[in-house]
Amino acid sequence: MRSEDLHLSDHELLQAADGELPARRASQIHVHLAACWDCRARMAEIEATIGDFARGHRQALDPQLPSIDGPRALLRAQLAELASKPVSPWRQLFRFNSPVRTAALVGTAFLLFFVAAMASKFFFQNSLRAANSAMFTSERGAVPNHSLTPGATRRVTVSDVCSLPREQVIAEVSAPLRQEVFREYGIVNARASDYEIDYLIAPGLGGVGEIHNLWPEPYSSPIWNARVKDDLEEHLHEMVCAGRLDLATAQGDIATDWIAAYKKYFHTDTPLTFSSRLTSALNSLPLR
Amino acid sequence: MRPAASITDSNHLPFTGASEATFSAKPSDIEREVMELFEQFRNPLLRYSLSFGVPVHDAEEIIQEVFLALFRHLQSGRSRKNLRGWIFRVTHNLTLKQRHANQRSFDRLATDTAIAEEQCDPSPSPEEHLSAAQRRDRLLAVVRALPQADQGCLRLRAEGLRYREIATVLGMSLGSVSISLTRSLARLIRADGR
Repeated sequence: MRSEDLHLSDHELLQAADGELPARRASQIHVHLAACWDCRARMAEIEATIGDFARGHRQALDPQLPSIDGPRALLRAQLAELASKPVSPWRQLFRFNSPVRTAALVGTAFLLFFVAAMASKFFFQNSLRAANSAMFTSERGAVPNHSLTPGATRRVTVSDVCSLPREQVIAEVSAPLRQEVFREYGIVNARASDYEIDYLIAPGLGGVGEIHNLWPEPYSSPIWNARVKDDLEEHLHEMVCAGRLDLATAQGDIATDWIAAYKKYFHTDTPLTFSSRLTSALNSLPLR
Repeated sequence: MRPAASITDSNHLPFTGASEATFSAKPSDIEREVMELFEQFRNPLLRYSLSFGVPVHDAEEIIQEVFLALFRHLQSGRSRKNLRGWIFRVTHNLTLKQRHANQRSFDRLATDTAIAEEQCDPSPSPEEHLSAAQRRDRLLAVVRALPQADQGCLRLRAEGLRYREIATVLGMSLGSVSISLTRSLARLIRADGR
């Protein structure tokens, strides 16, 4: 009896249906199926059950799938943030395992330790501050995704912004608009206590309460958070109203990179409140 | 200083100052590639993750995490071989981790499922007429009662993965995948009364 005359097992029928058999065996099975009603009927049974399951699987789960728009925007923003960070030179270094490189690394580590041990308290303080600044500049969510939140202003004069009543300067964002911002950033089930919906360009600098000027700023950002940004907004507002800064420049600087603007206008690498806390903590360290 | 203008101007245009020059950098090839893969696989991955009983918002976060990991994987010049298998494997691992974290709520879900299965007679009499929805529910109840690995094989195959990819995702041999699928389909055929 030839091999194509033997009845086929369910296992082989499934493999054949899934295209998982070697070409020669698949062709033998094809010949057998053409000749054998019994095996063809079993094959049809398997195919029908696959069809039922595949349909059921999708019908049960597809209604649960939220729209892809929010997650797509969120991923794009996160990728842009990741891509803007340089690949850590340390990771590059440690990917090589040559003994010479390891020895060089160990030597460098000892040298660095020695230098650090010799450094004055002043130097230590400044470098730590700089390290903190660099680290916290990249805090997640501390800056908005500029493709979603480029900033939006209305046409105002300096006298307009300087005569704004206080309730307009600190205008609350409505609940529906808050939800719209969360949706835009793909944040599902957001808790109000976790985020402030913040104006990129503050109303006190001519910013408007519409979606292009709002983003969810997490309170969890330990350093560059909403409260620090409030200080900057107030400072810029004062500078503009005192005639020490052009309104358009203030709008441009805060929309481009508010953390850089903070550093520029407060002449510091860390938020002032944080700096003072850090300084007092360092001062309490015993001197070697 | 800017010239006087009306504060009532309602044309709120997106700010187009220096920010554009700074932030309109074109996405890199890797970013584009990752976004294309996201478009292609987000729904299949989300379905796969949800089929483990994790809540939708957790599953969404897992998928985000997967594609960020993919970006780092590609950025560091690692293997591009079998990216689909890689993506599903990372999703599988993160989903199991998340499910473990949510174990208490999952236990509750499993109890619900068990109750649903009890209510669902797996061997109806031939005379009994079943609607399409009832048949579907019964089939899915049988799937949920399968061993975890068998469920994984079936669901990954339903998302279009080849046996070799399934073997990679679940850490099984090729032969085991094939046997698992045959065994599961035999059960489904019996449950379906075919």
